[in-house]
Amino acid sequence: MITVIGGIEHKGFGTGAWALVAEDGTTYELLDCPRDLREVGLHVKVQGTLNDDVMTLAMIGKVLNVNSFEIL
Amino acid sequence: MRKLLILCLFCLGIGFAISNFQGLATKGEFDSLVIDFKENIAATEIDRQLQVLSGQYQLAPRLNSQFSQAEHLYVVKGDRALLDKLRASDLSQDVESIEPNYIYHTTVAPNDPQYSKQWHLHSINAEQAWDENRGKGITVAIIDTGVSQVPDLAQTEFVAGYDFVNDKINADDDNGHGTHVAGTVAQSTNNNYGVAGVAYEAKIMPLKVLSGSGGGTISDIAEAIRFAADNKADVINMSLGGGGESQVMKDAIEYAYNKGVVIIAAAGNENNNSASYPARYARVIGVAATDAQGERAEFSNYGAGVDIAAPGGGHGSKIWQETIDPSTNLPIIVGFQGTSMAAPHVAGVAALIKSTGVTAPAEVFAVLQQSVRKIEQDPQNFYGAGNLDAVAAVKLAQKGKITFNDFFRWLRDNGYLNLRFWIDGGAIALLPKIGMVLGSYLLAFLIRNYLPFGLPLMSGMVAGSSGLFFLKGFYIFDLPQAPFRLLGSSIPELGNAIAGNSILNPVFASVLIPLLLLVVCWSIPQGKWFAVGTSLGVASCLLVSAVIAPNVWLLGDGGIARGFLILNGLLCFGLARFAARGDSQTV
Repeated sequence: MITVIGGIEHKGFGTGAWALVAEDGTTYELLDCPRDLREVGLHVKVQGTLNDDVMTLAMIGKVLNVNSFEIL
Repeated sequence: MRKLLILCLFCLGIGFAISNFQGLATKGEFDSLVIDFKENIAATEIDRQLQVLSGQYQLAPRLNSQFSQAEHLYVVKGDRALLDKLRASDLSQDVESIEPNYIYHTTVAPNDPQYSKQWHLHSINAEQAWDENRGKGITVAIIDTGVSQVPDLAQTEFVAGYDFVNDKINADDDNGHGTHVAGTVAQSTNNNYGVAGVAYEAKIMPLKVLSGSGGGTISDIAEAIRFAADNKADVINMSLGGGGESQVMKDAIEYAYNKGVVIIAAAGNENNNSASYPARYARVIGVAATDAQGERAEFSNYGAGVDIAAPGGGHGSKIWQETIDPSTNLPIIVGFQGTSMAAPHVAGVAALIKSTGVTAPAEVFAVLQQSVRKIEQDPQNFYGAGNLDAVAAVKLAQKGKITFNDFFRWLRDNGYLNLRFWIDGGAIALLPKIGMVLGSYLLAFLIRNYLPFGLPLMSGMVAGSSGLFFLKGFYIFDLPQAPFRLLGSSIPELGNAIAGNSILNPVFASVLIPLLLLVVCWSIPQGKWFAVGTSLGVASCLLVSAVIAPNVWLLGDGGIARGFLILNGLLCFGLARFAARGDSQTV
């Protein structure tokens, strides 16, 4: 389980992918992103697990499975 | 049976030749006519004729350019019917010529109305590559979100795929990504609709491993790779990536590679200094993305695992294909960006390469690498070997192989396929001659892997099979005709050329001369290939003669003569094969 603080972005690959860009610059892909997080510019704190067993068409970074989040 | 087989081969060859040969099939297009008035005609007469043209024919004659005044060169809109009408009119007395204003173009652009948007196909020189190859007979597996058969894939052939996400046969797309990728590989082209694809005669195998939201498990992807290999896919495209190194995935890739499948994957869009998996595996060709200027796309991964670069958009540019809009499920032509879009350009070119006959994955990779437009300064490996070039790749793949296109281009360039040349040649039996030239090609085709395509080989093939036979029809007043007959004869016919009859001399019409030629020329590379070509040509000439007119001096025109010709024909072919194989490593 990791905790990431950062901003929500929408990356234009294919039909688009939701991303969490951490304060250190690391980009995580929010595959099956919770509906409440789907807003570009949100500043959030997300708790989740890194999923190494999936590949995606967006290829923007490691996939972060969201367990819980908090909008800051 | 053998005769029948040879005959079938000839018919096939002739049919193929005619269908492939543009010079005879297309007579050129024009939509205007050039009228060149005589120099010594009075200006008033020209004015009168111009008025007739505008009055009687409702034409608007105009000078071809500001430099045409002195030459009196006018252009009018018109077709073949008008051309005939004008030539028959009294205008013809005042002109030097009335001719079709032929439109010249280097290559023919496809008629897909939105093709002009596809800068990415122009930048890989796809159009010139299509003159040579369009990927026929090759299957490309698209391991992605599935592929929907949108209207602009209607003419594209599909083979059975599988949906590994929902475990069903039908692998339709519910995201739009996979259909877009398939479009880059094999969008239906020249169908008066939408856009074009790189290898539009290739077949698509849709394999769905990514869900509608764009992710999929490594186990599904590994299974799809094995499915593709087991179901005779030639190329795999994976516009996906992520996760870590996986033994399951690595094994699947090794399995497919060993079955001869070329595997291509996107490098990833993290702007990272290494490609993501699966692009990073050794057996996989990792593709970085470039923008419309051929520069690295701002998102593209680079460094380790990047083998080649291809158009993927970036800096505002997009790749245009038809796909589905997932919210409505309706077809839409849309621009996407990403290394996902770059990989299928390479997959398409790999299909073109495979279709030329280069099939081993290592060789296809070598052709791709060696045919790129190299980038001079690339210390961070943004581009791998360099920028993808479809026409250079196809031409390199064809090098060392004689293709029908090459051979007939050569024949055409040397006058052999000029119809007038043949007819002016006089009363020469044309069909057997065509059969002999084509036959020598077909024999060469059988051992093509050992042969270098070049002038010596081709000259030998023509000398051995038919000679410069049109010369036989030359009669120049008071000059002896025998020298022309000699020049116009193939090697097997030399023995009877001076006498001027059609009975073959058994010394010339045998394996003897090719054998002597090979012995003499063995150490001279150019000479040797001429000798190999001659052997093939003689083989063809003898085999065709055996079928059509087995008439040999001392042996009669029956079974003995026929057997003699067939035996020597086969010996010549064997000789050529032996000589070519012995030197195959230099090809």
